[in-house]
Amino acid sequence: MGDALTLMAPIAIFWAGGIGVAAIDGWRGMTARGALVVHLAGFGALALLAARVLTSGPVGMIAGNWPAGVGIRFRADPLGIAFALLSSLVLIVAVAYEAIGGTPTRAFPALSLFLAAGLTGLFLTADAFNFYVFFELSMISAYVLTAFGGQPRQLRAAVIFAVVNLLGSVIFLLGIVALYHVTGSLDMTDIAQRMAFAEQNPAILSGTLLFVAFGVKLGLFPFHFWLPAVYTGVRPSIAAILSGALTNIGTYGLLRFGGEMLPRELSLAAPALALLGTASILYGAVQAIGRAAPDEVVAYSAIGQVGYVMIALAIGGAAGYGAAILFAIINALNKTLLFLAIDLRGAFVGPAVAIGALSVAGAPPAAGFFGKAALFRAGLTVGDGAERAALVALIAAGGALSLLYMFQAFGRRYLEPRAEERPASGRGRRRLVAVVALSLLVFGCWPEPLIALSERAAAVLPGRLP
Amino acid sequence: MITALTRTVAKLLFLPSLMIAVATLVKGYADVGDGFTAGVIAGLAVLLQVIVLGRDEVERMLPLRWAPRLAFAGIALALLDALAPLAFGQPVMTHLPPANVKPIHLGSLELLSAVVFDVGVFLLVFGFSVAAIDLLGRASPDRLP
Repeated sequence: MGDALTLMAPIAIFWAGGIGVAAIDGWRGMTARGALVVHLAGFGALALLAARVLTSGPVGMIAGNWPAGVGIRFRADPLGIAFALLSSLVLIVAVAYEAIGGTPTRAFPALSLFLAAGLTGLFLTADAFNFYVFFELSMISAYVLTAFGGQPRQLRAAVIFAVVNLLGSVIFLLGIVALYHVTGSLDMTDIAQRMAFAEQNPAILSGTLLFVAFGVKLGLFPFHFWLPAVYTGVRPSIAAILSGALTNIGTYGLLRFGGEMLPRELSLAAPALALLGTASILYGAVQAIGRAAPDEVVAYSAIGQVGYVMIALAIGGAAGYGAAILFAIINALNKTLLFLAIDLRGAFVGPAVAIGALSVAGAPPAAGFFGKAALFRAGLTVGDGAERAALVALIAAGGALSLLYMFQAFGRRYLEPRAEERPASGRGRRRLVAVVALSLLVFGCWPEPLIALSERAAAVLPGRLP
Repeated sequence: MITALTRTVAKLLFLPSLMIAVATLVKGYADVGDGFTAGVIAGLAVLLQVIVLGRDEVERMLPLRWAPRLAFAGIALALLDALAPLAFGQPVMTHLPPANVKPIHLGSLELLSAVVFDVGVFLLVFGFSVAAIDLLGRASPDRLP
């Protein structure tokens, strides 16, 4: 297969599939199942691309056969591939969850495919403005998806989500304009090269704009205000998509724009990142402990968990970026599992939630242990003794707090006898959740593939600055 | 206020507006214009008819219910045109014919793959705006879900 075809096949499959699924009217069961098939086909194409990238190096293409510097460039490297595979996997799980239960609208399956097209596109583009275009494609799909269900709660969540994220998009666009203004290029590689010679203040300004935009997307501490209302208002499958797939935009964006294009500014901002990360971890944990409803606990836990990604970014270098990627991957899987599982009742569900809770807390044998372990190891590569001790104490305290809030919620839900208990959920959904939980256990026992992938992805980025 | 005058002018304006839309579409590349603008102009022409004549009367002369299908045809055409070069090992959106080959002319109109793409964009924008106008025209407060 040609390079261009291998590279574009996933985007083409998702996009054309989305149009096809949107066009078949009236067959509700068919649309969800059809969308699932397209998602699996797109994931297959991504896996082929990943095999190609990991064995024989990055794949690139310039749209329209234009010369370099004129045309819009696409490229697949291990960093983009890792996040594309992760997002596609989360979408498969969420769509399967809806397809099993019989989805009540035909908008959801098609929109999930447009979302997949947008996400895949932004992970595989090498052009900052094209990144914004695909970013908007995924966000517009997400705005409609949050309203899925049509109940007043969901509409309120959708309005909050759309308003906050439209503001975030404007800030992001301003950041890209600033990058273009400083470097005169929109190509990511050119920007990275020219940024090294840019004046410091404009560079810091563009970096700050981008950081705020991605911080809003992640729900990092000072930008988290929208997150609990949205995550608890939407349907479980949508909460899983938002926290498992859409949050990747924030992590990937910070790594790509911060780690690759603005490494000097990122290392300058490291103390601020560490501070915000710490605030996020503590705020999320304390709020989660004070909540009774399980979905609120998981939503606040999501705020806490992105704090660890910030800490890893602040550490920087191959070890720090590798830990950030590994942690982001495992965190996305944890959140997908928990948001889907806490809404279910019946056999398998309790153990699945327990595995998710262990993974969030970073306890073996769940995969979360290796996320925290990578963070520990990265933390030991930097700073003096006091800094290391503070970091280790923070990670240990954060882990202990998350163990506390997760099992508080778990105990309230599954261990106390209840007068009014809902009947057991459908077997298909319970099996799906059990499979996701099992995969977290498998990755907890055999983490080498994930660790290798995140190390390869981190190797794309320049190392720590002297 | 809708009088015989506004009705007559609206009806008179319809076909010239569509003609301007088509002109905007085909004279792109050489002059100001593209599929998106053309789609908006054509959509506005339909909007004027719906406002002045009412949806039911417009429905009698134009099949408004076909608008969504037009939009689907448009996006499918544009996507197909953008992705087709992949089948020949070329990057997406590669121009056909290539830069140094003289394209086929229909009068002063040049046949390029980019024109096909813009026709797709035109159909998408036109179909979508007419479908949205139709939906809003049909919605009355007591008929909302």
